[in-house]
Amino acid sequence: MPLSHVTCPACGAVLTSHSRKTGAGKIVCPYEGLAYSDLRAGHDRIYFGPWRKMDAGPSDIVRAYHQIGRHLQSIGRALGDKDLPAARRDLAKAADAFHSGDPRDDSRDTLRFMDHALSYAHRVIDDLLHEIGLPSHAPMDFAEWYDAVEVPFRDEW
Amino acid sequence: MIPLDRYPKEIVLRNGTRVTFRPMVREDVDLLWDFFRRIPLEDKMFLQEDVDRREEVDRWAQTLDYGTVLPILAFSEGRVVGDATLHRNMAGWKQRVGTVRILIAQDFRHSGLGTVMIRELRHLGEKVSLHYLLAEVIEEQQTAIRAFEKLGFERMVVYRNYENDQRGRLHNLVVLLYPMSDSDEELFY
Repeated sequence: MPLSHVTCPACGAVLTSHSRKTGAGKIVCPYEGLAYSDLRAGHDRIYFGPWRKMDAGPSDIVRAYHQIGRHLQSIGRALGDKDLPAARRDLAKAADAFHSGDPRDDSRDTLRFMDHALSYAHRVIDDLLHEIGLPSHAPMDFAEWYDAVEVPFRDEW
Repeated sequence: MIPLDRYPKEIVLRNGTRVTFRPMVREDVDLLWDFFRRIPLEDKMFLQEDVDRREEVDRWAQTLDYGTVLPILAFSEGRVVGDATLHRNMAGWKQRVGTVRILIAQDFRHSGLGTVMIRELRHLGEKVSLHYLLAEVIEEQQTAIRAFEKLGFERMVVYRNYENDQRGRLHNLVVLLYPMSDSDEELFY
């Protein structure tokens, strides 16, 4: 079975790039045991996806667009009826940005809208984590699992 | 009334340190005084109150009124490591605007505590139906400005040479605004 058809037992994400196999063949997931692991993995899979690279093709963008749509739905389910108005508004903004983009339209605007949608989605995940007393999700902590370049310096307040 | 049933709230920072948030009570005055004493002079220069005067801090503790100023303190190992306040006008044309002020202990900077405290005040602002949160930051404090922007605050205006420190040097003041749930309503008369 191709790896892309396997669902990660730890985070629920489709196994493509972020998971690796150990020598014993056991699948290792960097999100295993983390709160909202499915949302984190879903975010990072898009965040580090090929659509954001210089050589991204139309199919990469269409695929990422639909991934964002599914990601927002997952976040909506996780948010449920939690009393988090800021998160709810950010999710609405993410949906607005998502619907403003059209992946069939070969323009920079679509990429910008997709980027905004993902950014608002990230905020919602962080709000969910904050409510249970956990630090924000930092995608770069997982960069080594993806085909990504590590940023040399990250500052936080 | 601001709902405070979420406190005490324990938070884990990115470096694994645990801090506890809760509203300030009168008995915290000594810990708060100790916190202010540890704040570097160059930071005190930009505070709106004179926190070097013990009587000023005593007065805050004696006149606590969460309706107008809600101080949320961050505690770690028995000391105050962060102070975030939500200021409100209970009457007048600014009653839907909350002002946020945040001060972080020097050894807790760059740990994400400031960002977490902004998030906490944003949540509280939502619960009391404010329309906007406003923050004023000296332009040199770029890390703080980025933290506010990351959480949805928008840079509205920069006042050039607006503030002077105790040595007489002038600094630019950045005003950031966060539009809240109800801010789109009743925009027009």
